[in-house]
Amino acid sequence: MTTIDEFVSLVQDELGLDVTPEDVGRSLDELAGWDSLHLLTLATLLERTTGRSLVLTDLLEARSLERIYAVAVGA
Amino acid sequence: MAVTDPIAELSRAGRLAADYPAVRGLLAGLDEPGLDRAGRLLARVDPDEVLRAHPGLPAVTIAITGHGTLGTLVAPLTAELARHGLLLRPWTGQYDGYVLELADTASGLYEADPDLTVCLLDPTVIFDEVPSPWRVEDVERVLDARLTTLEELAARFGEHARGTLVLNTLPLPSSYPAQLLDLRSRARLGVVWREAAARLLRLAETRLNVVVVDLDPLLAEGIPAVDARLAAYARLQLSPALLARYAREIGHLARLVTGRAAKCLVVDLDQTLWGGVLGDDGVEGIEVGEGYRGETFAAFQRVVAQIGAQGVLLAAVSKNDPEPVAAALADHPGMVLREGDFTRIVANWRPKHDNLTELAKDLGLGVDSLVFVDDSPFECGLVRRELPGVAVVQVDTEPALHTPRLLADGWFTVRELTAEDRARTEKYREDLARKDFLDTFTSLEAYLEQLGVWVRAARAQDADVARLSQLTLRTNQFNLTTRRLQPADVRALLADPAATVVTLRSGDRFGDNGLVGAVLLHREGTALRIENFLLSCRVFGRGVEAAGLSAVLRHARDSGAATVRGLYRPSAKNGKVAEFYTRHGFTRAGESGEGAEYVHDLTAPADPPGHLDLRDELSDSPSLSADISGGDLP
Repeated sequence: MTTIDEFVSLVQDELGLDVTPEDVGRSLDELAGWDSLHLLTLATLLERTTGRSLVLTDLLEARSLERIYAVAVGA
Repeated sequence: MAVTDPIAELSRAGRLAADYPAVRGLLAGLDEPGLDRAGRLLARVDPDEVLRAHPGLPAVTIAITGHGTLGTLVAPLTAELARHGLLLRPWTGQYDGYVLELADTASGLYEADPDLTVCLLDPTVIFDEVPSPWRVEDVERVLDARLTTLEELAARFGEHARGTLVLNTLPLPSSYPAQLLDLRSRARLGVVWREAAARLLRLAETRLNVVVVDLDPLLAEGIPAVDARLAAYARLQLSPALLARYAREIGHLARLVTGRAAKCLVVDLDQTLWGGVLGDDGVEGIEVGEGYRGETFAAFQRVVAQIGAQGVLLAAVSKNDPEPVAAALADHPGMVLREGDFTRIVANWRPKHDNLTELAKDLGLGVDSLVFVDDSPFECGLVRRELPGVAVVQVDTEPALHTPRLLADGWFTVRELTAEDRARTEKYREDLARKDFLDTFTSLEAYLEQLGVWVRAARAQDADVARLSQLTLRTNQFNLTTRRLQPADVRALLADPAATVVTLRSGDRFGDNGLVGAVLLHREGTALRIENFLLSCRVFGRGVEAAGLSAVLRHARDSGAATVRGLYRPSAKNGKVAEFYTRHGFTRAGESGEGAEYVHDLTAPADPPGHLDLRDELSDSPSLSADISGGDLP
């Protein structure tokens, strides 16, 4: 996973959420179908995909997909 | 990154609800990450929408209550139920809401009228209530209080609810005993913890509507009990892997409460019940009872017998002739299972799904009641495709894994055995079925189309010598002249300018089958003579022989031959290929001292079967035979 578009596809395919690259800056609360469990699932998936251990607290505090991606790639 | 699995495609197209009945077939054979993902996608579909589209789909309402975060159980549970063709209607309680939800008979839980109520228990049920710092006496006190609560809740549930209450034993991760520094206290913690577990398990003995799942055997498979970070930050007190494994157990309980427990275990024989290929190796040559592999196959047979002793019907369905199968079961000294242990033994050459359908009908069962174990990805794929209701357990070439694979799912779980189950020794059997091996399998065509079978016909290389010799020595059924060749004989053929040895390799989307066949050719003037044609029975019924023959005929024509002659020499085991030549455009030319002679005039050599991809490398380099003898040694 090297681009935010790939991250968006991961969210689409793995979580089944109907999100587009335009949604990445929105608050998670505004995403249709989002619930807090998705963050836990994403944490596991992102660690598996990136092969890195993430700072889980940063991820859990993220309020947008954009921010989650930034945590995942260590930006 | 794009995922191309069919469930994801249905999800993207918004068709999961509309196509829900197809989901069961799509889930069969998925690995754990695949099933995880499918569960997440399926859990997003509204069950009511599915039921509107498919009112007949069996739905199971499961209430999830407990101490920690509960929602993460929904996705794996959805997938596990879908594997059994069941639709999950979940009801999820509040965080740490189990006491109120089970005690208050007017709660949402009782209102949902669940078929199963899963009360998810984890170690923090106890450790959240001990003081800080704690001593083992504190744990003992809390365990006693909590167990009393659970007993009362189970009693309340039994009086007021219709369904089954599912509890689980509490794992004890080492992070708790390790907090006690003295060994005596640590041992004491183990004692009180297990006494509480036993007390919990006893609830299942005294209350008819309570099931207690012992998590210890699941953890012993090597699953972590807790993910420390998810426990700390998300109050997810049992690891996602454990929840997924537990969901599989609950899936089988759902099968059970909807009357769908499997009733018949159907096993393949070659490489499943014993090692080796009976048709080629003979009764003496198969592996069972002795040696590393033989002992392991015998151990697997004991497990099958163990299942059969508890009311499950046993059957065998094998691509074999009936006589050697009967002989192996009767005479092989290492065999644990004998003919009398089976309700049916079906040994013939028909597609297995046809045999399974007939077997179910004969036994008065639905195909949903069958669990089928086979080592061949081809056979497993075919049965999954044709009969999605049959539970397929795919084993492989490692017999040590047969038992864990078979037992990974509780297909035959029942609430309790009746006297009738234990006494079900009356077996009804029928004559072993025998069908023509070379029958065209019309029902197979569609499957073969999508299987992507390929066949590569090429001239033999030095590196093929060992395998070619082995094929001639071991192949008995598809062996037109049963001429055995030692490696030196094969090498001599490769060096003979008048001889051509054609190797047949095949494969499909399940993988590469390797070198599975050979055609030994000899040039005699304008005639090309097929000295022998061999094919491993692992790949029977896929058109590999027709493709190989087609390549040989084309090669004959392109290299200027006027006719192709073929010889068939009958043996005790090759009767099923007696008509091989006449089925492929040859005419009978008489009898020689060696056997029956057939001839093909090459005016219209048949094309290879349409479902497969023939990679014909015979004609690419006509002069290659001259080079072979100078090839590198393997």
